[in-house]
Amino acid sequence: MTSSVGAVLKKYRWQFSGMVAWTLQRVTGILLLLYLLLHVHTISKLSQGPAAFDAAIATFSSPFFKCLEIGLLGVVVLHAFNGIRITLVDLGIGVGKQRQLFWTITVGMGLLVFLAGAIPILLFAVLKVR
Amino acid sequence: MSWNALEWYFQRITGGLLLVLLSAHFWVEHYMTAPLRRGDLTFEVIASRVSNPVWRAIDIGFLVVALFHGLNGVRNIILDWGRLGKRAIAAVNVALVLVGVVWAWIGITAFSRL
Repeated sequence: MTSSVGAVLKKYRWQFSGMVAWTLQRVTGILLLLYLLLHVHTISKLSQGPAAFDAAIATFSSPFFKCLEIGLLGVVVLHAFNGIRITLVDLGIGVGKQRQLFWTITVGMGLLVFLAGAIPILLFAVLKVR
Repeated sequence: MSWNALEWYFQRITGGLLLVLLSAHFWVEHYMTAPLRRGDLTFEVIASRVSNPVWRAIDIGFLVVALFHGLNGVRNIILDWGRLGKRAIAAVNVALVLVGVVWAWIGITAFSRL
């Protein structure tokens, strides 16, 4: 019984993490498009002059929104590096090694770039280190 | 080349472009100078950059590429559902193009007074 469950799990393991990666790309993509809607809305205040724009952007300079911005960076990085993995597999690079590519490119390289971008925001914009 | 093949190709090309443009955008708006690293982005900072026509063109091109990639991604999600007839797909195409044009217009006219 357990061995047959194990065999089924082993057979469908990539299909499962492939499904996670596929869902991840769609969910992060929609989040980024919603963010772009908010972003263009804020930027459109530029046409109302300096006072209106600086008031609108001041909200997003608070430590709370800077923390959300770190989250945004995480969503961008996940989408970008998972996109690189998808493109490589589409080009025939790493076919049959999708799982390794998911862990090395999407998670590994993504995490490195995320940390490189998130640490300065955390230090200078959230904790206000001089 | 069929539209579906072209669409697939453009989604990858725009994805690659966005990787470059977005990295530059993050650097220029968040990391380049000490005030930006503190999160003090102001009208003045953006106005002095966007008054340069090259930067203005890059920003507008960036928005158009991002909107194509994002709305085409939404189209892929809708079509993956797989239950739409030809007429419904045509309606989706028209709706997404309209959304994209309005969205780009709002973004581009933001620079009208700079």
